[in-house]
Amino acid sequence: MRGWIRIAVALASGLLVCAEAAAQAACPVKIGGVLPLTGSMAPITKKIAQAAELAIDHVNQGGGIKGCPVQFILRDDQGQPTVGVDAAKYLVEVERVPAFTGTISSGVTGPIISSVTAPSKVVQITCCSTASPFTLDGRSAGYFFRTIPTSKTQAYATASETTKRGLKKTAVIYVNTDFGTDMLRFYKAALTKLGGEIVIEVPYNDNQASYRAEVSKALAAKPESMLLIGFPKDAVTIVREWLSLGGPRTIALNNSMRTMDFVNGVGAKFVEDFFGMDNAQVAGPQVDAFNKAFEEKFKADSKGPGVHTQYDALMVMALAMNIAKDLTGPSIKDAVRLVHAPNGTPVGTGPGEFKKALELIKAGKPIKYFGATGPIEFDANGDVTGPALVWKVKDGQIVTDRTITIEEMQALFRRIEN
Amino acid sequence: MTGIFSYLVFFACVVLIFGVLALGLNLQWGFTGLFNAGIVGFYAIGAYTHAILTAAPQPQYLGNLGLPWIVGILAAMAATALAAWVIALLTIRLRGDYLAIATFGIAVSIQLVALNWEALTGGSQGLSRIPKPLSGVFDTPLAFNLWFLFLLAVIVGGIYVALERILRAPWGRVLRAIREDETAAVALGKSARRFRLEAFVLGSMLMGLAGALYVSFIGFVSPFDFLPIVTFQVWAMLIAGGSGNNRGALIGALVVWGIWSASGIAVTKVVPPSHAAQGAAVQVILIGLLLILVLLYRPRGLAGEAAVVSRHAAD
Repeated sequence: MRGWIRIAVALASGLLVCAEAAAQAACPVKIGGVLPLTGSMAPITKKIAQAAELAIDHVNQGGGIKGCPVQFILRDDQGQPTVGVDAAKYLVEVERVPAFTGTISSGVTGPIISSVTAPSKVVQITCCSTASPFTLDGRSAGYFFRTIPTSKTQAYATASETTKRGLKKTAVIYVNTDFGTDMLRFYKAALTKLGGEIVIEVPYNDNQASYRAEVSKALAAKPESMLLIGFPKDAVTIVREWLSLGGPRTIALNNSMRTMDFVNGVGAKFVEDFFGMDNAQVAGPQVDAFNKAFEEKFKADSKGPGVHTQYDALMVMALAMNIAKDLTGPSIKDAVRLVHAPNGTPVGTGPGEFKKALELIKAGKPIKYFGATGPIEFDANGDVTGPALVWKVKDGQIVTDRTITIEEMQALFRRIEN
Repeated sequence: MTGIFSYLVFFACVVLIFGVLALGLNLQWGFTGLFNAGIVGFYAIGAYTHAILTAAPQPQYLGNLGLPWIVGILAAMAATALAAWVIALLTIRLRGDYLAIATFGIAVSIQLVALNWEALTGGSQGLSRIPKPLSGVFDTPLAFNLWFLFLLAVIVGGIYVALERILRAPWGRVLRAIREDETAAVALGKSARRFRLEAFVLGSMLMGLAGALYVSFIGFVSPFDFLPIVTFQVWAMLIAGGSGNNRGALIGALVVWGIWSASGIAVTKVVPPSHAAQGAAVQVILIGLLLILVLLYRPRGLAGEAAVVSRHAAD
C-alpha cells in the first residue's frame, strides 16, 4: 500500500517538476506541434517533421516572432487519439502555446479540435487532415485551419473534367476512409449539378488480395467510365481486374495515382485513356526556393505528402503571430486571415522573404503570402482552395494535360455551390 | 501553475476512464479468469451507442437523436450488456487463448462495422457535436474538466464499492473458485457456465460505460479510437497494477497512463525538435522498459491480490 502511494507521488511530482520548468519565460515564443512520429504513419511523417523544422529555422533566421526567437515543441501522437489529445492538452495548458500545428490522421485531429483547441481558443493549423466535418459543422469555432486543399477542390475538378469529356454514366469505386467518402460526396454533388450521373458507388477496404467482387458489382451497372478514388497499390489490382473483365478504358483517378508505380503496375499501354487530377503545385520562385532549401538541409528531395503544406502551416502561423496585436488565440485566429491580404505586397518562402514580411508588418503594410504550395488564402471555413491540374499518361510518361487556374476553380465553386 | 493544474485535471479524467475499463477487465480476468482480448470492441459499442443517441441531429445520419446525456449512458450500458450476452452465449465455453482469439476477432469486426456503417456511425468521418454534460453551465475548459472529474470520481467510486461488495459476497467467491479450479467448483454444484457468463456480461457493461464516458468527455468519436492498441493498454494497466485487486486496477490505470504521458513530456524536454522522430521511438522503448521493470520488481503487480483465504482463517 505505502509502496504504490510513493510511486504515485513520485510520478505526479515528476510531472509537476517537468511542467513547472516549462511554464516560465515569455521569450522564446513557443509553438507546439503534434505529429505521428511513430506508428503506421511514421514513414511519411519523417519528411513532414523535417519541413516543420525547416520552417522554424526560416522564421528564426528571418527575425522570429515579435522580436523573440521561436521554440518548437513537437510531441508524438503515435497515431492514437487519446495520446494525441493528451499531448495537445499538455502543449496548451502547461507549455501555454497559443497556436500549434497538427496532426495527420483525421481520427486524431477531430478529438483534439473538440476537446482541446476549440474550447481553449487555441489556433490549430494542420498540414494533412482532410475530413470535412471539422471545418463544416462549426465545432472548431473558427480556430481550425488547414493548408492542404480539401478533397473538395479535387472532386469538383474531376467532375468538371468528366462532363467536359462527355462521359455521362460513371461508376465510382472508392477507398473507405474519410478521404474516399469525402471525395465521393463532393464529386456526386458537383457531377449532378454539371449534368452527369453516378450509376453505382462501390466502397472498398484497402490491402485485399482481390477486388473482383467490387469490380463486378460496378460493371453490372453498365457505366461509360469509372472514377477510382484510392491509393496506388490497391488501385493497380482494381484497374487490372476492371480491364480484364471488359470495363471501359476511360478511367478517372485521384492525385495519389500520379506516380510511375501505378502506371507501370497497370501497364503503360493500357492507360492512354486515363486521366487524373492533382492539386497544382504552382510553379514559381517561392516553390523552388523551398525545394532548394529542403534539399540543402536534409540531403533529400522534398517530394512527399504533406511536406509543402506543413511548411506553409508554420509560416502562416508565424506571420499571423507577428501580425496579431497580442499572442492570444483569438487575435492570432483573426490575423491568419490577413496573411494573404488582397492588396498586400507579395512575400514568399525562405528567411529573406520572412524578414521582408516582418518589415512590412512593422510598417503597418498588408502582406500577401505565397507559400510552398502557392497562394494561401483561407475561405470562411478555414480551408484553402488551390489550382488543380489534369494529368494523363503519354508514351509511358505522366504529363500535365492542362491546368485549372485558381480563377477557373473559383468560378467552378460558384457554379456548383450556388 | 493553473495550466499545470488544468492539465492534471484533464489527465485524471482520462485515467479514471481507463480505470473503468481496467475494473471491467479485472472482473473478467482478475476474478474469473476470462481472457477477454476484445476489450476495445465493448468500449466501442458503448461509445457509439452514446454518440448515436445524444449527438446533435444531422440530416445525413440515421442516429444523432439528441437525447439527454443520462439516456445515452444507460443505453450504452444496456447495449453493451446485450452484445456481451450474445457474444458470451457463442464463446463462453471457450477456454483461455481460444476465448482470447474469438474476442479479439469480434472486436476487430466491431471496429470495421463502425468504419463501414456510414449512415449510422459517420464511418471514417466520425461523429462530432456530441454534447458534453452541462457544458453550458461549466463553460471554461477547466471548469468543465473539474466538473467531469467530479462526475467520474463519483461513478468510479460507486463502481469500486459495488464491485468490492459483490466480490466479497458468495457470488465473488464462486468466481474465484472457478478461476482456480473449475472442475472443483462444478463438483460443488455451481454452474460454471452461468457464473462465467454473468462476470463476462457485467465486466463488458463497465467497458461500454467507459466508452460512453469517453465520448461525452471528448465530444468526438471515430473508428480510430478503437484500434487494438487500446486493448493492450488496458491489459498492461491491469497486469502492472495487480490482477485480482480492484485497487490495483485503478493504480495500474494511473501508472501506465502516467508512464505514457510523462515519457512523452520527458522526451520533448531532453531531445531537440530536430531529433523528435528518434526521440519518439525512444519514448516507445521507454514505455516498454518501464512496464517490464514494474513486472520484474512487482511480479504480482503494484498492488497484488490479497492472499486471504477466508476472513475466518485467523480465528
